[in-house]
Amino acid sequence: MSAKAAAPGGSLGSAKVRSALARVGFARGLTREMTGHGFGYTALALVGLLVGAPVLAVVLMSLRAGLPGQASPLTLENYHRAYADPIFLQVLLNTFFFAGGTVLVALIFTLPMVWLFNRTDLPGREAIFVFLITSFLVPVFLRAIGWILVFSPEVGLLNSAARSVFGAERPIFSIYNITGMAFVQGLALVPASFFMLSAAFRAMDPALEEASYICGASRLRTLLRINIPASWPAIAAVMVYMLMLAVSLFEVPAVVGWPARIFVLSSLIYFAVTPNVGLPKYGIAGAYGLLMMALGLILAYLYFRVIRETRKYAVVTGRGYRPKMLRLGRWKYAAMTFVGVYLALDFVLPFGALLWVSFLPHAQVFSVEALSKLTLVNYRQIPDLIGVRPFINTMFLVLLVPTLSMSLSIFVSWVVVRQRFRLGGVLDAFAFLPLAVPQILFAVALAYLALLFREVLPIYGSVFIIVLAHTIAYLAYGSRTMNGVMVQIHHELEESGRVCGSSKLRVLWRIVIPLMAGAVVNAWLWISLLSYREVTMALTLRGPDNVVLATLIWQLWFSGLAPEVGALGVMLIAVVVPIAWLARSVFASIAKGYSDGR
Amino acid sequence: MIRIRNLSKSYETRHGRVEAVHGIDLDVAEQEFCVLLGPSGCGKTTTLRCVAALEVPDEGEIELGGKVVYSAAQRIFVPPEKRDIGMVFQSYAVWPHMNVFQVVAYPLTDGRKRAPSRDVAPRVRRALELVQLDHLEARPVTDLSGGQQQRVALARALVSEPQVLLMDEPLSNLDARLREQMRLELKKITKSVGVTTLYVTHDQAEALSLGDKVCVMHEGEILQVGAPREVYSRPRSLFVAQFVGEMNFIPGRVLGPTEVESPLGRVQCEVPTSCQTGQEVTLAIRPEHLALSSDASRGSGIVRGKILSKSYLGDSALFEVEACGVNLKVKLPGDCDFAAGEHTVLLMSPDRWRVYS
Repeated sequence: MSAKAAAPGGSLGSAKVRSALARVGFARGLTREMTGHGFGYTALALVGLLVGAPVLAVVLMSLRAGLPGQASPLTLENYHRAYADPIFLQVLLNTFFFAGGTVLVALIFTLPMVWLFNRTDLPGREAIFVFLITSFLVPVFLRAIGWILVFSPEVGLLNSAARSVFGAERPIFSIYNITGMAFVQGLALVPASFFMLSAAFRAMDPALEEASYICGASRLRTLLRINIPASWPAIAAVMVYMLMLAVSLFEVPAVVGWPARIFVLSSLIYFAVTPNVGLPKYGIAGAYGLLMMALGLILAYLYFRVIRETRKYAVVTGRGYRPKMLRLGRWKYAAMTFVGVYLALDFVLPFGALLWVSFLPHAQVFSVEALSKLTLVNYRQIPDLIGVRPFINTMFLVLLVPTLSMSLSIFVSWVVVRQRFRLGGVLDAFAFLPLAVPQILFAVALAYLALLFREVLPIYGSVFIIVLAHTIAYLAYGSRTMNGVMVQIHHELEESGRVCGSSKLRVLWRIVIPLMAGAVVNAWLWISLLSYREVTMALTLRGPDNVVLATLIWQLWFSGLAPEVGALGVMLIAVVVPIAWLARSVFASIAKGYSDGR
Repeated sequence: MIRIRNLSKSYETRHGRVEAVHGIDLDVAEQEFCVLLGPSGCGKTTTLRCVAALEVPDEGEIELGGKVVYSAAQRIFVPPEKRDIGMVFQSYAVWPHMNVFQVVAYPLTDGRKRAPSRDVAPRVRRALELVQLDHLEARPVTDLSGGQQQRVALARALVSEPQVLLMDEPLSNLDARLREQMRLELKKITKSVGVTTLYVTHDQAEALSLGDKVCVMHEGEILQVGAPREVYSRPRSLFVAQFVGEMNFIPGRVLGPTEVESPLGRVQCEVPTSCQTGQEVTLAIRPEHLALSSDASRGSGIVRGKILSKSYLGDSALFEVEACGVNLKVKLPGDCDFAAGEHTVLLMSPDRWRVYS
């Protein structure tokens, strides 16, 4: 239309042409306002590219043979090879047992803790909270390494102590089996599920409970008839969410499962693309990846179904709500013991072991003799061992990832919540996808794409591909959180800016973002820390130049350098603990957003 | 000046399409104060938001100050930031991250009519003086009371000296006393500025006291437009009669051009020409046009009744009276001394009856 209007003669002087042009200009404005939406399509294109391209790449690589860029006809050969392999059934079973076991272990610890923490006068709650945050922010594989140092049948401190003290001939405990893996992973999931469940638990309207007391029901009966049924959808939602995570987790299956030759889907995919010998088998990874993706999507669907159920219970009133706190009395000690056991298992034992080996020239059991050998040499040699590269790369991650991810999240969520964009639902679903699709798949797919397009976009093997992977992965968290915050901003605050004569983007910049500043900073910090501790994607995408602290520790561990791992691990944690302590109130609100924003 | 022609807007909801506004026409003259009055869901806010460009209409045409800002036929839509308007929102919508000065300065610093920076401060002060908040300019807006926030919102709407001022139930969040006070002030301020105003409310007292012109809306249509006095004393339809002020309704049948048969006997009144003899109609009269008397000696044509209840309101008293099988509300000065249970005589002024078919 505009071409037509501008075409005749090119003389823009005539009134006719000018009015035609004016009309076209208005018409454009009209269409944009009516269908919403230059911004909507921009956001959709961006997110569609970032999230959709890797998903498509998984499908593509499962249908092609050879390396990215090599000419290959489409083929079903990969599926045949992947699923006909006798190992496949075993891996599938392992995945289910591992995922189910993980959720079970996590719930066994989480449910009583949530109740104790929110509804009783359990002492030391603030300290426990800081412990949980710290534990959440420490990479899971570091905890797994700590556990190996304690419970490994060969080198484990516990087993060697048992050998030397009791003369036990066989190791009394081993974590190199599915149960051990699920146990370690389950413990590691406790903080996340704790934060989610706590928020759901606190969101229950106390009036529901009080009404039951007024009706004459006892505390126990109220718990059974009101509290549990009313919070059941929330518990179910957390369970499904954890299952979604658990089927895709990689760190424990790799650190614990690999030496024991116990594979799950995620580790199988990882070792398919980073084999010790031979070429990466992207085809096989794609074939397994598609199955994983299907699992993730089914669980995500289930999750949304359950979440819709929780909405029906529309429970939040939360006005100055102080629920009645149950006095534990004598049971206090039992409760503290329970929490203490959890903290010991989750935190004290594994990180104590890391600390211990970090001061030794080589890993050995605790003894007086060993005490005399304590040394700082492991710490001192760190700079020589690793140089500055990993530190610089890590800085890139913790600064760039949250900035990019939050910018995109704010924009997407503004379009979804604020602009009446026709495809807003689709956009929101795309932004959620990184939670449903296993992160390792995103990493593999990005590696594949980066190799495919290495001429156009040479980021393969650089830190920027990790930045990209993390940005995509945390888009889900960011946009969920921003959705939750954005709906709370009254639409008239924004409309009044428009009526004052500001464009949509200007209103976003001058009014909406400043109003959300607190939440934006919180989420930024949180994503920064998540990126700091993330290892799965960084590892899958690693090259010689993009080593970050987390992947460095990983590599040192698989090179058998336990004392150096200990020293670096302790340093990594030492950075997190003060942040967790200083920002605990910030994290309390994040913990809340964790489940609000889902 | 606001000119609206054949404006229509419908929404897609979960339960299908809802017609919020269908085909309304409205003219507001330069400097006129026009009130859109109606129950919730009547389309008044939608109309206002269409004028503000916060909604995109489906059909029709809108002109502001002689300039077409929306036309479906010509495919014209001017976005809100390009229309010469100021608006006061129901929630005030003052930005909590700014202080009073910053909020009021926003249209001049970030709006359509940016002012040179040396002009901003004096103009903001002038606007704040207008709403009597000039002593609070450094305060964070969150420290202000509801009434003060409302004034800030008004100052912000007026600071850029727009042609048209739009107000969406601006007083509904204030308590009763403050609301009355603000109502008087609003009228004074808009008159002194001389801005064309479109004002939305569901409160008939507000509409009658503020408007130069009142426009009663129902189910997306305009039922009556006129001066407040005209709308109140000569409601054109049953709905308007019911919605604007209190009204008694009794059934009746037309006997002639000036006579209607009713349970209270024959009533002398002006019957609209559209009603034929014998037609069933509804008679309406305002409670203040009925009176009570204890003097039952007045011969024929009087109606006897019994007082069922009395609510004493201070300046007035509202009685419920049963007469000839119908219940009627009667409003008398507060100092009258009738009591519930008393038998009484009902006095009606014949020229106050209205007839609706």
